[in-house]
Amino acid sequence: MTLTTRPPSPARPGALASPGRAGLSDRSFRSLTLGCGLLVLVILGLITISTTQEAWPAFTHDGLRFFTSDRWAPSADAFGSLPFVYGTVVTAVIALVIAVPISVGMALFLSDVAPRRLRRPVSSLVDLLAAVPSVVYGLWGVIVLAPWLAGIYGRVSDVTSPVPVLSNLFEGPSSGRSLFTAGLILALMVTPIITSISREVFDTVPTTAKEAAYALGSTRWEMIRAAVFPHSRAGVVGGVMLGLGRAMGETIAAALVIGSSPQISARLFGSGDSMAAVIANEFGEAGGLHRAALIGLGVELFAITILVNLIARHVVGRAGVRS
Amino acid sequence: MSTILLGTVSRGRRLRNRAATVAIWSSVAMAAVPLAFVVAYLLHKGAGIVDWGFLTDDIPISSRLPGPGMGPAVLGTLLITGAATAMAVPLGVLAALYLNEYGKRGRLASVIRFLADVMAGVPSIVMGLFIYTVWVLRYGQTGFAGALSLACLMLPIVIRSAETALQLVPSELREASAALGARTSRTILTVVIPAALPGVVSGALLAVARAAGETAPLLFTIGTVNAANTSLLDGTNTALSAQIFGNARLPFDAAIDRAWGAALTLIALVFALTFIARVVARRFTVR
Amino acid sequence: MHPPKIRFTGLLAALLALAMVAVSCGGSDDDGGTGATGGGGAQTTEARLSATLNASGATFPKPFYEVVIAGYQKEQPGVTVNYNGTGSGAGRQALQDGVVDFAGSDGLVNAADVAKYKGELLYVPTVAAPITVSYNLGDVRDLTLDADTIARIFQRQIRKWDDPAIAALNSGVRLPSTDITVARRSDGSGTTENFSKYLVAAAPDTWTLRSGSTVEWPGDTQAGNGNQGVAQIVKSTAGAIGYVDLSDAKASGLQFAKVRNKADRAVVPSVDGATAAMAGAQVNADLSYNPLNADGADAYPITAPTWILVYKNQTDKAKGEAIKSFLRYLLDDGQKLAEDVDYAPLPKSLQEKAVAQLNNIAVPVA
Repeated sequence: MTLTTRPPSPARPGALASPGRAGLSDRSFRSLTLGCGLLVLVILGLITISTTQEAWPAFTHDGLRFFTSDRWAPSADAFGSLPFVYGTVVTAVIALVIAVPISVGMALFLSDVAPRRLRRPVSSLVDLLAAVPSVVYGLWGVIVLAPWLAGIYGRVSDVTSPVPVLSNLFEGPSSGRSLFTAGLILALMVTPIITSISREVFDTVPTTAKEAAYALGSTRWEMIRAAVFPHSRAGVVGGVMLGLGRAMGETIAAALVIGSSPQISARLFGSGDSMAAVIANEFGEAGGLHRAALIGLGVELFAITILVNLIARHVVGRAGVRS
Repeated sequence: MSTILLGTVSRGRRLRNRAATVAIWSSVAMAAVPLAFVVAYLLHKGAGIVDWGFLTDDIPISSRLPGPGMGPAVLGTLLITGAATAMAVPLGVLAALYLNEYGKRGRLASVIRFLADVMAGVPSIVMGLFIYTVWVLRYGQTGFAGALSLACLMLPIVIRSAETALQLVPSELREASAALGARTSRTILTVVIPAALPGVVSGALLAVARAAGETAPLLFTIGTVNAANTSLLDGTNTALSAQIFGNARLPFDAAIDRAWGAALTLIALVFALTFIARVVARRFTVR
Repeated sequence: MHPPKIRFTGLLAALLALAMVAVSCGGSDDDGGTGATGGGGAQTTEARLSATLNASGATFPKPFYEVVIAGYQKEQPGVTVNYNGTGSGAGRQALQDGVVDFAGSDGLVNAADVAKYKGELLYVPTVAAPITVSYNLGDVRDLTLDADTIARIFQRQIRKWDDPAIAALNSGVRLPSTDITVARRSDGSGTTENFSKYLVAAAPDTWTLRSGSTVEWPGDTQAGNGNQGVAQIVKSTAGAIGYVDLSDAKASGLQFAKVRNKADRAVVPSVDGATAAMAGAQVNADLSYNPLNADGADAYPITAPTWILVYKNQTDKAKGEAIKSFLRYLLDDGQKLAEDVDYAPLPKSLQEKAVAQLNNIAVPVA
């Protein structure tokens, strides 16, 4: 039942409304709120236009080579973004490979496995994980984690050296600042996002479905596989893609531990670079075409993350969960 | 309930169930342990450094010298984040009001909602580049430029959380107000907003916590200073996050110590804001 | 007509005049150099200045500029100097854009870029210092390298520490078979420029990457921001090698190598080595000079110069005065602070020319 909110007619003057001025102030308030809403449009449009404009000299300088070349040499005016796209994608994939099992596990814990008392603390744990600023993760990563991992990487590479494919992936030695370390830190940072969304999705599984599974004699794990997972597949995938978008856009933690080597190498323990990290590291002193190229990397990153987020929202939307 | 049935379950299924349970519990541990390590290390390293002097004294000009402090960075974080909040929260709440009270399911509102989600996914460094191109190149590096970029980051977060809070206000309240003859704007101001206030405040605090911890948007927009700068519009400024990033790349123990101190300060601020946000949401929400 | 009033007013006026005289006399302290030895243009008292100077640029001399700024702040507390270490390239760019009042640069402006600046530039030489080849190799303390080997290491042609080329220069030193991790600059760096210029001069047949403020390093090298960023990579990575100014290398506790100079003597990077290198360098009319790969038995071959770039015609009176005053301090009392932070002060003749050049800076009258 909907009620209209027209001001009452003059024949029955209401205590709360006054005709004439009512319409005007209501309309102006509405316009005010609409204006604020349109601000989003304006800002997004400005971002797209201004950054593309600044980056244009770099895009036109060498044509499509900006996107396909793997040579980044500011001294020679050669700007190929491929090493950074490679680093961004590889670190994000490593992050997801580590984070998804942990996040899904935590989400299952919160929705189905946790004793009542533990639900609140673990939920707070997830919030705290999300609250830690990325620069603090980065500081800890470069001072504590990277040096410690350098030794571990050495041992792993020794162990895997006889194995054909693995020996290439895990070839040592390593300084600890590597694609893998960056992936680990990113995993810490995207876990909260994937956990929250997965948990929301798991919570929407109707209890009748769960009870039906139990009634048929399934163990808890079998219930999860029968009732929870099928229902939540789309939502979890959407959450994972949102995590992917976040991992690709993460700048600071990656900039500190990734090793800053613009190269494409299969060595996961070797150093690399990512789009966001190289912008953070090189922008301060870049000028002219170099600066335009870095902004161009920003535009490229913008486009890729927007695409990933769009796909994610579509998938999550279909699962009926508003993230 | 499930345990009753397990008596008749085959060994293989029981083992698989047990394995899954172990996996699930260990995933919680795998998330908790690194967080515990980070916080513990932070406390261990930062506790000996942070004191009142640290929080108020100037940053030494020579980064290799030990000693305080991070005063300008603390001030900078508070000023810049405060200014960003003052810009993003009112604008975001008003936009959310449009989306929930006026636009609702309309075409324009859907577009705005969609774009707000898109904007939430923009990498923070791209926000920094954006403000650099449109503002810094014209007006120089100032605390205000940093505040602008943080506000752009906060806006979609505020819009989304405020809209959720507004949606939770029961429509009966709005209908009752309308029945009494109030126009929509009045209903909003006197009925809806007070009812949604805890959710809006909680969402805003979370956005502030996120903004306080951000580094990338500030990198090219605020510059750096060694002595506290109380002005947002005049001259460069610095912030805790930017200082941590800069010091993390230095080889001097004194600089790293200051970075730990700043990190502890920052995380204390962020955790406090997050905690207050959760308390507000839980205690004061109208059910 | 009202004698008491007139007398009172006259008394007031006299008191005021007295006060003004007192203030103006007390205000000018014994700041500034008192006819410093070897310094031209001795000033006994300098008026109190008030300005904020923003500068950015080379990280190579930053430790020296930091102590100079701290010392200058005591003499002129009303002047705040902010020096941001962003790299020589960024400093020059900032000066072009007009965002800073002066820039630190280890390299000269390219002829092609001169037109981009807002006016005529002056080079003010400030100090020189050794660029060390720092390394992290556990117990190995006494490494000697030459230009050829350095070039091959940084071009990733020599990849392990126990390579025969390195062993040949270091008989008797146990070299482990650790892999070499090369640390270099990511930003537009005057240190890179001088380091690569040295390699072009001293190892012309081996070094193929040419010279410039950015060099096309091989992909599997690690990039750091500023001298201090490179120092941090070397410090935290076993088997790393990188080029770092002496001051930062010592403050970070790094080991650095002796380098064979033109006279084929292995010289330790030190202030004396830098001074010896500067002694023979030829100074041009615009006060640029090149102490790299210098002759002389004691000269350290990788000695790098650095300048402050400033516009000849200043547009702001307060800032212009402050700049002149700051530079005067740097070239005068400031030089005495250099050695403590491992920088070599300018030779007397060059210092005199630099101070004299300051008079060319034109400050508007009002």
